[in-house]
Amino acid sequence: MMTDRKMSDDGPLAPWFDAARDDAPLASGDWLARMEAMALAEQPVPRAVSRPVPERRSGWLREALGQLGGWPAMAGLAAACVAGVWLGAVAPSDWTGMGTTDSLISAAEPASAYDYAMLGL
Amino acid sequence: MPYDAMSDQNDEALLAAYAAGEPAAARALTLRLAPKAFSVAMRMLKDRAEAEDVAQEALLRLWRAAPGWRTGEAQVSTWLYRVVSNLCIDRMRRRRGGFADLESVAEPEDPAPSAASALQDTARGQALEAALDALPERQKQAVVLRHLEGLSNPEIAEIMDIGVRAVESLTARGRKALEGLLAPRRDELGYDDD
Repeated sequence: MMTDRKMSDDGPLAPWFDAARDDAPLASGDWLARMEAMALAEQPVPRAVSRPVPERRSGWLREALGQLGGWPAMAGLAAACVAGVWLGAVAPSDWTGMGTTDSLISAAEPASAYDYAMLGL
Repeated sequence: MPYDAMSDQNDEALLAAYAAGEPAAARALTLRLAPKAFSVAMRMLKDRAEAEDVAQEALLRLWRAAPGWRTGEAQVSTWLYRVVSNLCIDRMRRRRGGFADLESVAEPEDPAPSAASALQDTARGQALEAALDALPERQKQAVVLRHLEGLSNPEIAEIMDIGVRAVESLTARGRKALEGLLAPRRDELGYDDD
């Protein structure tokens, strides 16, 4: 054992170092047990895996949103807004002609009030 | 996880498991590191109660450093040896009230009579330990880590925060001083070599 553990640069002191290595100070079992207890006492506690329950907060915006029907209703409102803006932006070219042509009016209303009067209706 | 399942993991992996709250890692690391810390402290201080205090303080610092340990930055055992060594040197300086000169080793009748007289009644290992006590702190630290704990010179350089060549110089001077101290005991202790 001594030869196995001999350091290459022990030099002439090799037998002395060997003897000292063989006489290594050993920790007592009691002290080791205390060190283990300390390690466990100091050990960080693992974080809980469960997700924390979000705190319910109240405010005027949250209440108004709730009365309107919550986020689904807000999504509907937003979609309606977008549709309105889109119609506003696109409509002039598409809708003007349709609204002013006589044929389109007669197509929308085939008989006028005069026609109904003549027919005795 | 049982201890056996962790015995093949390196210190750094165990420390990460410790920081994650794995109790088996706490036990495995204690069994692996506490005896080393105690051994170095005992060789440096030659007082069981003080060595236990120092090793405990070093281990406590390790456990508290575990959550912020940066992987790959330092070896756990090297870090621990460094803390133990520094704590030991602090205590030795307080005990001695200053730094001992190498000259005190070269001339045994000077301020090292305790080492010389201790050599009278001790066997080989104890004689060396007693002679080590007469070395300046840094020489003693380097010799203990190199020749008794078996660490490599680069490891010791990291522990002592000096260069490898400075370690070689310290250990060489330490060995020379020890040879001078132990020379009168060579015949008496009955051998020159294996």
